[in-house]
Amino acid sequence: MRLTYLMVLIVVILTSSQAKDSNNEVTFSDFTLYTGDSVEIASYTIQLVEVQSVRDGIVVIRATKSGGALDEQRALLQNNANSFDGGSENGGLTVTITDIFDDQSAKVRVEYPKDMGIPRKQTAESGSKGPGSQPVLAVEKSFDNDNPSVGSEVKVTVMVKNIGGGLAEDIVVDDQPPLANFVYIAGYPPKIKSQLDPGESDSAIYVIDAVKEGTVKVPPIEVRYSDSKKNTKSNESAPFNVVIAPKSMPDLDIKLNPSGSIPLGQAGRLNVSLYNSGKATAYKVEIKSEIEPSGGLDATDLDKSYFEIDPGAMESYSAELTGRSSGEYTVNLKVSYQDGNDVLLKEGSTTIVVLEREYKYLYYLLILPLLAVSAWLIKRYKEYKY
Amino acid sequence: MLNVLMLGVGQCGNRILDAINKEAFGGASRLSKYYSRQKFPSRVETIAINTAINDLKELRFTTAKDRLHVPNLHGVGANRNVGKQGFWDNREMIMEEIEKRGDFDVAFVMTSTSGGTGSSFSPLLIHELKERYKNISVIPIAVLPFREEGSIYLQNAAFSLRELMEVDAEGLILADNQYLKRCSGDIATAYDKINTMIAQRTLFLIESLDSEMLSVTDLGDFKTVMSGGLRMGTMGFSQADRKNPSVKSAIQNSLKPGSLLYPANVYDEAARAMVIIQGSREYLDVDEITKEIEKLCAGAGHVFKGLVIKKGYPKVLTLFTLASVPEIETLYAQAARAIHEEKDRKQRAKKQLSDAFAHIEDLEEIY
Repeated sequence: MRLTYLMVLIVVILTSSQAKDSNNEVTFSDFTLYTGDSVEIASYTIQLVEVQSVRDGIVVIRATKSGGALDEQRALLQNNANSFDGGSENGGLTVTITDIFDDQSAKVRVEYPKDMGIPRKQTAESGSKGPGSQPVLAVEKSFDNDNPSVGSEVKVTVMVKNIGGGLAEDIVVDDQPPLANFVYIAGYPPKIKSQLDPGESDSAIYVIDAVKEGTVKVPPIEVRYSDSKKNTKSNESAPFNVVIAPKSMPDLDIKLNPSGSIPLGQAGRLNVSLYNSGKATAYKVEIKSEIEPSGGLDATDLDKSYFEIDPGAMESYSAELTGRSSGEYTVNLKVSYQDGNDVLLKEGSTTIVVLEREYKYLYYLLILPLLAVSAWLIKRYKEYKY
Repeated sequence: MLNVLMLGVGQCGNRILDAINKEAFGGASRLSKYYSRQKFPSRVETIAINTAINDLKELRFTTAKDRLHVPNLHGVGANRNVGKQGFWDNREMIMEEIEKRGDFDVAFVMTSTSGGTGSSFSPLLIHELKERYKNISVIPIAVLPFREEGSIYLQNAAFSLRELMEVDAEGLILADNQYLKRCSGDIATAYDKINTMIAQRTLFLIESLDSEMLSVTDLGDFKTVMSGGLRMGTMGFSQADRKNPSVKSAIQNSLKPGSLLYPANVYDEAARAMVIIQGSREYLDVDEITKEIEKLCAGAGHVFKGLVIKKGYPKVLTLFTLASVPEIETLYAQAARAIHEEKDRKQRAKKQLSDAFAHIEDLEEIY
């Protein structure tokens, strides 16, 4: 009896599960859409607003739901699924750009719950009230350098384009206030025409300087406008990240390479090399020398100057050192240079040994016996020469 | 230490002196003067005296300062009269050079009796030495010539030898080239060998007189020996070797004619003798030495014996004076004949020349 109840319970559970699965079943349909074309399914409308970049695979899609519960416009990357209103798994829609044919058309896949019914394509001309007669403004904000360094200049371009079919009026661009990582230099706020005809675009450029290193999330820029019936609409650009690198600085590595110990009264060489391992040019490079203790080692052409040393470049020169007095000397080189604003200092030093006068005792050991023998022979020869 | 003066006078004396200097270097090599020092047993001063500068230039082992040239053109031409005059003319210069060398106990004057400079200078030089050095003993070492060298050399030898005996020297040591030329086939080699023999014996004698002997002989004994007999003597020398290290044999060999500088029968003709024996102690058998000395004493009047302990096989130097010198008598006879023949030859030549001149005695030159 118990076994019978258990089997009945299992059958009931399985049946219940299959029923639930059939209620949440998702299906999809592919559509080839031109700019302005849309797909309607249930209360949702998916419209191809613009093929923004064929090369980068970016298509702007607008999703709306009757009643105003959904009105969202996004730039979709090709082959990336985008969920609207919770996605198809949750009773919404999932839209994927599967192919982009040209700057006017693309293949769009719409995934939806099966119980929504059958989607229908509406062309721009056939739609009685599609966006083709409405203004649609696309807005884009871009940096000319996505990886600036602290102190470097960045040009920000704001572009607004009316990709809809009607006149856009009362256009207002709302850019975010100055970021903490940037300071505005010129051109802010961006000025965009207040009206844009269909297909017309306008852009503005302003200049900012990076002032603080770090990763910065650049917020979207919003454009608000109204159509001929004074319905207010808005759109915004996609947010993106910018990494601000530390400030580019010149960094001079100084190396002193003496030719070796210097015999007293003789000259030696000191090879000096300057390598800019930084990312900025070093300007007004001045090399000043100082020898301690003074007076015993003379240096010629040790002080030097260069107008600039580019990043990765190396300058080298050779100075002559003359030992006047035996001992150990420290040659200090102080290098001052500028990175444009600040004066930077670097130091390098090396030790030079001036040797005591070297007497060639070994040679004397060879010569003296010869001299002695020669002198002895000459003396003897003279003694016996008559 | 003895102060010894060695004078080599004339070409022959110069060469003997040069041989002594060479032996003082060790006698090994012609170049020994460049790498070695002379080792004389005593303080020895050597002076080579000559009127012929070329003879002085030929010397190899005598220092330049020890070569004294007496300016008299180029030699005296074997003329003893010219030589004597040359000595008198330069006497002070010669004696000053000698006196610069200090005081001396004994002087050996080495000379040939037959040449020009040596035979004429030596008697006068010995006389001057005796005059200026009151305590000096002067021993001439006189070399007799080859008999066939010519009449002038023979007469020079005769007169020079007589003068050497007449001056107040302490005896005379003879060396006879005629006797010694048997040492070698050619004359030049014979001369070298004779000079070396005289040099070795003389240095051995000086060393022995100046050594601390086991049995003492000294300069006094030497003078006593030299004053014996005819005051003419000679030296014999022998050296034992590994094959025959016997001191007895060495003594006997030193007395044999082959070891002497002048031909003599020592056992019969010796007047006084001195036997100096040098060698390692193990070779010096006193009994054997005594027997040999006694044997020699049987003939010679008195024999001085000296033993010098020095490492090596026995070396024996025998010095003796003679009671008879028949060879000298023969030499004088030959010299006399040579003088007579020279005189006759000159007279004949003079007469022949006079006869020749007689042909034109009453005639005059006509032009």
